Amino acid sequence: MPPPGSRDDNRTRLTAAERDGVYAARRFIGNDLEKKLGVRIPFDVYFQDPLVAAERPELAFDEECYVPWEPNIGDGPTSARFAVVDYDGHTETLNAPAVWDRTQNAFVGPDGGVLDRSTTALPQFHQVNVWAIVQRALDFFENGAALGRRISWGFEGNRLIIVPHAGPGENAFYDRESKSLQFYYFDRGDKRIFTCLSTDVINHEFGHAVLDGIRPLYNEAVLPETAAFHEFMGDLTAILISLRNNAFRHFLIGETKGDLSKESTLSRLAEEFGKNVDNKPYLRSAIEKLTMKQVANDQRPHFMSQVLTATMFEITIELSKYYVTTRGATVPEAFWYTIQRMQAMAIQPLDLLPPVDVTFKDYALAVLRAEEISNPADPDDYRGKMIDVFVKRGILDETEAADLRKPHHIFERLNVDVFHDVDTLASSPADAYRFLDDNRRAFLIPPNADVFVVNLCSAQKLTRQARRLPKQILLQYAWREDVALEGPQFGRFAGQSTTMLCGGTLALNQNGELLAWARKPGSELTSDGKAAVAEQTRGAARRAAFLDALVRRIKAGRIGTAIGGDKGLLAKSIQPLLARPVNGAIRFELSPHLGIKDDQDETFGGRAWQISS
Amino acid sequence: MADKLLVRAYNVEVGDCVYCRIPKGRKVGGVVDDFHMLIDCGSVGGVDHLKAAIADLENKMLPDAGGPKRLDLLVVTHEHKDHIAGFDPDYFKNIKIENIWMNTAMDPDHPQAGRTLRLHQLATTAMRNLASLNLSLSPELEDLVALYSIDNDSAMEALRETLPTKNGITSQYVHAGMTGADLGLPLNNVTIRVLGPERDIDHFYLGAEADEHLQGLVAGGALFKEPMTPPPAYPTNISQSDFRRLQSRMMSSAFAFAELSSKVTNNTSVVLLIEWKGKRLLFVGDAEWETSFKDGKANGAWNVMWHERKDDLEDPIDFLKIGHHGSENATPWNDQENGEVTEPSTILDSVLPTPQGATGPTAQAVVSTMRKNYQTIPRAALLVELGKRVKNVRNYQAELGSAASSLPKFTQFEKTWLGSPQPWRTDCENALSGAEWVDVWIEA
Repeated sequence: MPPPGSRDDNRTRLTAAERDGVYAARRFIGNDLEKKLGVRIPFDVYFQDPLVAAERPELAFDEECYVPWEPNIGDGPTSARFAVVDYDGHTETLNAPAVWDRTQNAFVGPDGGVLDRSTTALPQFHQVNVWAIVQRALDFFENGAALGRRISWGFEGNRLIIVPHAGPGENAFYDRESKSLQFYYFDRGDKRIFTCLSTDVINHEFGHAVLDGIRPLYNEAVLPETAAFHEFMGDLTAILISLRNNAFRHFLIGETKGDLSKESTLSRLAEEFGKNVDNKPYLRSAIEKLTMKQVANDQRPHFMSQVLTATMFEITIELSKYYVTTRGATVPEAFWYTIQRMQAMAIQPLDLLPPVDVTFKDYALAVLRAEEISNPADPDDYRGKMIDVFVKRGILDETEAADLRKPHHIFERLNVDVFHDVDTLASSPADAYRFLDDNRRAFLIPPNADVFVVNLCSAQKLTRQARRLPKQILLQYAWREDVALEGPQFGRFAGQSTTMLCGGTLALNQNGELLAWARKPGSELTSDGKAAVAEQTRGAARRAAFLDALVRRIKAGRIGTAIGGDKGLLAKSIQPLLARPVNGAIRFELSPHLGIKDDQDETFGGRAWQISS
Repeated sequence: MADKLLVRAYNVEVGDCVYCRIPKGRKVGGVVDDFHMLIDCGSVGGVDHLKAAIADLENKMLPDAGGPKRLDLLVVTHEHKDHIAGFDPDYFKNIKIENIWMNTAMDPDHPQAGRTLRLHQLATTAMRNLASLNLSLSPELEDLVALYSIDNDSAMEALRETLPTKNGITSQYVHAGMTGADLGLPLNNVTIRVLGPERDIDHFYLGAEADEHLQGLVAGGALFKEPMTPPPAYPTNISQSDFRRLQSRMMSSAFAFAELSSKVTNNTSVVLLIEWKGKRLLFVGDAEWETSFKDGKANGAWNVMWHERKDDLEDPIDFLKIGHHGSENATPWNDQENGEVTEPSTILDSVLPTPQGATGPTAQAVVSTMRKNYQTIPRAALLVELGKRVKNVRNYQAELGSAASSLPKFTQFEKTWLGSPQPWRTDCENALSGAEWVDVWIEA
């Protein structure tokens, strides 16, 4: 008899009320028990895509795909956070939705049969495939091993609309405005390629949606580095999730044909990974040797993001090597251990990032700080190893590295002018605002800035051995500084004004102690005193960099307005940044990141986006 | 003036209507006469300017042919409204046309333009369906839809059937490589050569884009059917307003196809090189450029010419009819303005070099244009660059004074560049003096 909860026996044994009860208590149950009790259920999804499935049958389907069950899963599929709408904007047709069968814990097709690996030709299987992958990916982020909290989307509403067959095109993208993830399809030879069946594409686009939710102000990104960070997020999501698959890791390691006891095998892993993703240029980035100097000011976000992706991959390999050499772990053991740790090491820092204008350095500092919080004693000197890689890639310089390596207290007091009880300030954005306002001097917020709370939440993260870290209270705040655009270098925006976003992220623990504080200062002097003066200097430099980046964007023709109408958009016309007037000032926002091809050979200038008429 | 070659660019707002008179360029039955030709007659605006232009030709410029006036050659560069809207047989009823040329992509039976033709048909169906739905569209898309106006059909019918029949001639589809004998004009001491398009339209200008697979895929779309399929019911798991917003944010293959078709149509423009008494005159229609020639891809006409007709193209010219109403896409140049040498900048330096040393430029140019909504048509920065390479320039800011600010989108797209010399522009000349045409004289 197949064990209960396993792939071969998916029937519910509990009554509906019992299962709802287990669901309510799932936070205290481990994954294995969840599976056994039917609140974490298996689905057949392609491990990578049908092409790989045809070439490597042993990797065809992900045998480990379990997604969180919910009481209100419905047809679509529809669940708490996702609504699959199988609308083809080209043929203007709607496919029948997959139907949820509660007793079978499965979706069924139009003929009533369960949708699984034997029904891959049905559009309803595609619907389930993409839904299960994002349902799992969301859990990957919300899990205690990662952010340890529920995350919201970057738009009004809780259901991300998933469109598996949006129309013909080599495209897949996340669009905040329509609250959607859209997947297109195209023909290659006599095969039809559906991007909704490519796990890496789905995870990459989903990464954008997640980042937009936890850092909505990154959407206003004049700095190319912020756009590149968005790309990094997509790639990171795809890579980390794919490497969690045991069969895939074993396959990669096997391909190196290396000695499983030797760390040198790991060096070849990167190459194997690169070979494996030959058709996926955005994942090729994992093996690049690029440094920050080589990508500075580059207008191509995907090209630039490769530095950070490669850095994190390199860190993964370095840590794995460490386990082989010092703990005598085999290569497979070491690699698996590291991949698990990376879920924390790479994702938990996201909660410490500044609310606006993120740079690769911000992320590096957040990674190091998150490790300090999680692992203060750091007996294996993980921080030191990571600092080395960051320096090698030019993300941190030697001075910064030396400073970070200096022995220091892990926790310092947060200086405030007016004490606020942490539970009160964490109870609502309005209370958080009073906390900020009472402490404008200490927090270096200009007296006349109308500062607003971008997001307030608390998180229950886990560290190694699945131990709970103290609860974190995460407060993102921001304000806008007016910037006049004077001079011909601003092209058609000359004479208009925009705003530069400033702000910070304050991370406190349940005792009100400061965990981290990442700030993006403005150029106004906020008060007297050394700290304020130093902050203003940084802020002025920020403003200059902001204007410089904007001028480069304008010169490279990267800003436009979307061309379209009720019947849709002209893909070619969508420039990387859109200019939108809001309250008399212009906001420059990232447009839907289009295309699944890399931007290495992108032509420059606005010409690429000019339509012929 | 009788010995000088005249190019008269009529003010037809956004469009082309260019007359050229070649002194003693025609010889028929031993009699030497001037050669009169008209390149395009269209506008996206109304037909009033076009009618006035034709009237001027009829009454002032064309010679008597025993009743009607004689036009030796009518060239239709390509099938866009701003080049063909004026071809109403009624407007030409007193003009005897001796020759009509169209580009070979306009030949419905041309075997090497099958895919291009199919693309054009799909785009036309989709755009006309779209027009009939009366939806709200952004201005650029409205212009794209307007290009496929149903009025184009009557113009094309006039060019293919009515006008040839009335004039007792057959229209000719021309392409690069045709010899003088092929073209069959009664020329005297002047050559008119066709530098574009190449005969293999599908190969050079469409390439692998929109290949059969994609065309088959796309033809299944709702907008591409006649009549359109009715819209489906709403999905039940999201709200109707969310669904409508979703629809407006999906990538439209109809628009993509129309845009591609429109680009190919521009690139298959007839490009003429007229050589008269050692002078070289280049009329480029709406030919576009890309960063470089790529075999098997959808190429820009300039890159194709540079690749296939370099011997004919590479020497400096004495006159340029600036392409596509001054669009940045239609004159090869380094649009990044960063001093780098690129294939397009090389082409420009070869064809219209910046004079070195003390001698000023000797070449001339004209642009037939009026700004609508875009930075890019005309691209003022390009006109300034060309202004360094030709002698017939004006500082329109100085000459127009405060009237300059009445130019459309002056602050955004003109102001920064208007104080630098630009080649003569029909819109600015009209603003300056009410001129309904711009004359450029070429001296031997």
